[in-house]
Amino acid sequence: MMWNDIFVNIFEDGFFAAIAAIGFSSISNTPRRAYLTCALIAAIGHAIRYVLTLPELGGLHIIPASAAASFAIGLLAVLFASRIKCPAEVCFFPALLPMIPGMYAYRTIEAMLLCLYHTQEEAFSHYFYLFAFNGLTCAFIILGMVIGATIPIFLLKKLSFTATR
Amino acid sequence: MGNRDDRAALQETAAFLAEYASLQLGCGSTCIRIEKNTRRMAEAFGMDLGIFIMPDNVTVSVWNGDRALAETAQRETAHCGISFDLNTRLSRLSWKVADNGLDLHSAAEHFERIKATKPTGKWEVLTLTSFANAAFCRLFGGDWFAMLIVFFSTLAGYRLKQIMLEDGRDVRLTFLCASFFSASISAGGHIFNIGSTPELALGTSVLYLIPGVPYINAVSDMIYRHYLCAFSRFFDAAVLTACLSAGLCAGMLMLGLKWF
Repeated sequence: MMWNDIFVNIFEDGFFAAIAAIGFSSISNTPRRAYLTCALIAAIGHAIRYVLTLPELGGLHIIPASAAASFAIGLLAVLFASRIKCPAEVCFFPALLPMIPGMYAYRTIEAMLLCLYHTQEEAFSHYFYLFAFNGLTCAFIILGMVIGATIPIFLLKKLSFTATR
Repeated sequence: MGNRDDRAALQETAAFLAEYASLQLGCGSTCIRIEKNTRRMAEAFGMDLGIFIMPDNVTVSVWNGDRALAETAQRETAHCGISFDLNTRLSRLSWKVADNGLDLHSAAEHFERIKATKPTGKWEVLTLTSFANAAFCRLFGGDWFAMLIVFFSTLAGYRLKQIMLEDGRDVRLTFLCASFFSASISAGGHIFNIGSTPELALGTSVLYLIPGVPYINAVSDMIYRHYLCAFSRFFDAAVLTACLSAGLCAGMLMLGLKWF
């Protein structure tokens, strides 16, 4: 891939993550003044994950890449939270939502249903493999994301819990 | 007489803090924030606090300074839906009490005003969510046709969800119907071969229903050792994910599409 294409893709990834973050913020009744901050943090976080998973650049697996991107999201959320007088999670939750592995989550349930539907050993094993693969990947992405985003709150505890002061 | 006044003050404070904690739990705060905010206010009122957070109710105990008297109040978790706006206002109230020395009655008045806060307008949420899900489709690699299909299927599905929740229908049934509706509409792209990524449109069309906030809250509660709340939030979210998957599968089955 050419560098120009890579930069366009990074920008595009960040842009669409920002739109997704604003939409998911509105579902959770986020104060309007936090929309732009959420969008900015989501764009940076998602772009970081994109870069880290790109074979030409980071080449990381999606789980550590998500954790690293979430760490950046958590750090930015703690720094920006006091500026908009909102708790840090108001900023980082909507920013994390575009990274929630929804596809893995419902493929897990779908594979589980298909396990029950198929009685032949071969088909059952195949769907059980899909169930375990998607379920484990989904669980560890979420775990990595939340731990990654929570570490800055631990490290900057005073700043995190006084944002609405 | 002094003892009776002390007891009355403790009772009022316990009742207020339990109401406060139940609303904060209902609006989707993490357990650590509920603990910190209620303790901050109790200390500002000159009392010690013990809090016991369960998925369906919150129990608050307050003691006076010398720990001679104690009062306990329990409240059911408020069913107000996730609201970061309420979360923010409630957190600010706790700081107003701690920093500005707000007394209990002023804090209670302030709390009543917060409870009356209106949620974000439904049309605004509907439009922004539809755009968000279309953007989500793009993030997964969908083309412009897939994004358009996802936009309209989300618009229809989310509106159905709003109508059913306004009607007081069960949230699980609502998720199942909304996902079935969205999946059936977006399956059009697959059936009529619109664009180059119709399968992504079908897969993404129900993702606006994934309960992301409870999933994240569950892990946060687990980190702070609130295991019961963590399990409760996780299983609530898993049941809703199962409902939306069932709706998607039913939609695909009805339209005769093959599984992934």
